[in-house]
Amino acid sequence: MFTFTAKDLTFSAIFIVLMTIGANITFWLPFLAIPIGGVNVPLSLQPFFAILSGLLLGRRLGVLSMTGYLALGVIGVPVFSQLQAGPFVLFNYTGGFLLSFVLISFLSGFLKEKLPVTNLKSLTTITMTSTIVSYLIGVSYMYLAMNVWLNLNVSYAAAWISMIPFLIKDLVLALLLASIALRLLTQLPHLKNGRR
Amino acid sequence: MASSLIIGQYVPEESVVHKLDPRTKIVMIFAFVIFVFFANNGWSYLWLTAFSIGAALSTKIKLRYIARGLKPVWFLIVFTFLLHLFVTREGDVLFDIIGFPIYTGALIQGVQISMRFFLLILVTSMLTLTTTPIEITDAIETLLHPLKKVKFPVHELALMMSISLRFIPTLMQETEKISKAQASRGVDFRTGPLKERIQAVVPLLVPLFVSAFKRAEELAMAMEARGYKGGEGRSKLRELEVRARDYLAVVVFILMIVGLFLLRDM
Repeated sequence: MFTFTAKDLTFSAIFIVLMTIGANITFWLPFLAIPIGGVNVPLSLQPFFAILSGLLLGRRLGVLSMTGYLALGVIGVPVFSQLQAGPFVLFNYTGGFLLSFVLISFLSGFLKEKLPVTNLKSLTTITMTSTIVSYLIGVSYMYLAMNVWLNLNVSYAAAWISMIPFLIKDLVLALLLASIALRLLTQLPHLKNGRR
Repeated sequence: MASSLIIGQYVPEESVVHKLDPRTKIVMIFAFVIFVFFANNGWSYLWLTAFSIGAALSTKIKLRYIARGLKPVWFLIVFTFLLHLFVTREGDVLFDIIGFPIYTGALIQGVQISMRFFLLILVTSMLTLTTTPIEITDAIETLLHPLKKVKFPVHELALMMSISLRFIPTLMQETEKISKAQASRGVDFRTGPLKERIQAVVPLLVPLFVSAFKRAEELAMAMEARGYKGGEGRSKLRELEVRARDYLAVVVFILMIVGLFLLRDM
């Protein structure tokens, strides 16, 4: 059976904290809010940290730590973006993106076992696939949420069209984040060999 | 900024709600979250609002303080209301706002959905206001205990959550310190094209990761030195205990739900 060392637990806990900081990174770095159609959309480093959690902790611990992050938010600790908390955040139309972090973490932990993470190409593959998977889940969930419990009738296509500007933003971001991830992994070499 | 980042805004008071077993509170709040969706007319919403405000009063926490905690979500509530007002097209046209017809159905639905939001937020915030984070994670561990049967690491998850609660404020301060330190060394966080601005995240992230992982490493070592070896056979300083007042609270809650279903048909 899988046994957890104390180190596994503390490192996974640290990733919960990093997710909280990543969600609200614009508190410290207000320049990271980028204008899309006249509105300043605050950038979030959450997907980035979710991917890193998979890369550094491995898929098992990554999934557990992302679950812990969601659970912490659901019980009311303000860990989500804009310091939101509570079960309703998951039921809001953007809740699917939060749920997708668990899968992203698993996915990047899984891909790490297949690809060498020390070159830019495979890191880009990982960040790009994760972004796309996150949108697949997020937008489908948004469509579901709007039609089933928020009483807003929106077609599936309309849901996608409204999210396309964000998707483009996040794909560009994924490219940049891949290079940042590479720099992090090489500047902090002892992180490279996560436990599993 | 620091004041808006109060994490786990627990307010110590001597009230019945504070003394309830955290498991009772969690179960009731989750039930409430589900039953809010059953309210379907003005009376049932009024009933739920009365109950939530009654519950808020019984915590003995100043209402002004609770309202301040809700500040970040007022925007969300107003936004939801406006969205419904302009999108929904049911019932008769009430009046026009610069060419946008407002329907009665939209007004009713807008009010209902934003009320629902308000109630959800008010009641869920009650948990963290009256319960210490440690109590909450303890309660989660016992509530999720049945999942152990399917080999889900419940104890580990709960411990992980407690540890992260301890480190959230610390690492937030750290982030602030690092961003100031790097700015004073001339890292330009403000100008330039987006690509460069995002690259400027690196001088923030590298020290943050180093410091975060150092803390994790040290804590793990301290845990091992104290003989941590998993959840099996680990005892607790404060055992959770269900008392008479918990049963009473559950009875009151069930009566409230019965009332809700009676009002639904009115």
